[in-house]
Amino acid sequence: MSKQITHWLDDLLAEIEGIVVRRKSSRRVRVDVPADALPALLELLQGRAGYIHLSAISCVDWIKEDEFELVYHVWSYESHSLVSAHIRIAREPGVYLSVYDLYQPAAFFERDIHEMYGIHFEGSPNMEKFILTEWDGPPPMRKEFDSEAYINEHLSWQEYNPEWLQELVAEGGGVIIPPEEQRFSQKKK
Amino acid sequence: MSSIKQIPVVEAKRTNPLARVFDDLVRFCRSRSLFILHYCTGCGAIELPPAMTSRFDMERLGIQPMVSPRQADILLITGYVSIKTLKRVILTYEQMGSPKYVIGICSCTVNGGMYWQSYATAKKLDEYMPVDLYIAGCMPRPEAVIEGLQQLMDRIHAGEANSWEDYYRNYDYYLGNQQKLFGEDWQTPTDVISEAKHYDLLSNGTLGDHTRLLEQHQKPLEALEMRLGHEQKEPAK
Repeated sequence: MSKQITHWLDDLLAEIEGIVVRRKSSRRVRVDVPADALPALLELLQGRAGYIHLSAISCVDWIKEDEFELVYHVWSYESHSLVSAHIRIAREPGVYLSVYDLYQPAAFFERDIHEMYGIHFEGSPNMEKFILTEWDGPPPMRKEFDSEAYINEHLSWQEYNPEWLQELVAEGGGVIIPPEEQRFSQKKK
Repeated sequence: MSSIKQIPVVEAKRTNPLARVFDDLVRFCRSRSLFILHYCTGCGAIELPPAMTSRFDMERLGIQPMVSPRQADILLITGYVSIKTLKRVILTYEQMGSPKYVIGICSCTVNGGMYWQSYATAKKLDEYMPVDLYIAGCMPRPEAVIEGLQQLMDRIHAGEANSWEDYYRNYDYYLGNQQKLFGEDWQTPTDVISEAKHYDLLSNGTLGDHTRLLEQHQKPLEALEMRLGHEQKEPAK
């Protein structure tokens, strides 16, 4: 039965222009589409192939290519298979359409991505702060946010290297990682 | 907090030769009946159920969990403290009655531990409140927790565990660090300066630039409305 469904899925996916389908395994399909074709693809998947469950939206920051990658994972309870739809959007201005009208759980993921990456989703019901309610810095998951520089500026650091640990290390046990090996900003170049 | 001043405080006179004996007795009793506040941050709390229950059995030392900060003696910080949590921890700490003791469990409370690079966690707990004891480890086993608690008991008995006084004596320092993290308009519902006066612990470090800043931004505290019964709110028309 599953083979029939996958055949059928291939025919369905061929309706979208500019689509690249890669079959990762018997139950996993990776689909790359242009950003403007994604709502149509999701509508097809939801309405005609039974992919009714949006498991997650994940985001990758490709800073060198100046792009964000958004991955929409949709799951079918009928064929027990996962389709991951990958799109790329420009990093600036970082605006994309919400899929809230198709999948209501998207509001949750989009709010999270908005908070962590600063992507604005048009049509999403709520773009308020979510977890980082008391954070007023830049979106912290963006690659240009230097977490270590931030903590060096805002928080202080103390050594923890007690005598008993040094004794253990002298005997060949324990683990001491000196800060110049651990902290990137103090690494010797 | 003028009402605190009105409570008559009887000056302890050191004329009785038995006074020290009673002090010792009081400290002994205090060290044998400690209540741990049932408040856990981070992942180290997972070591507490075995430490409390039958295998390691904290209660044989007289240590029990307690649900309300007003009645608790020990505040256990069991792991990383995110900056959001730190606000709540400070509110809780200030609500506890003195003498109170803070124990930092896990490496995260010492210097951030494995979250040293995270923008969201505070690194040094003792910048924001005085810490009596650190139990390092990721995470410390219940044996280490019990060992640490026993050390705390010994120190209470010896009269050395009085870092809570440090919060009143150096309130300006702690408040300064809190303001640096939470912004200038940071304010807690507890009037620490009046409490310091009440405990007769006002010293040079209590007041300073940061407490002046607090006074500028401070909104007057209002008592909550007391009501009996459960009146239902009328829906807005």
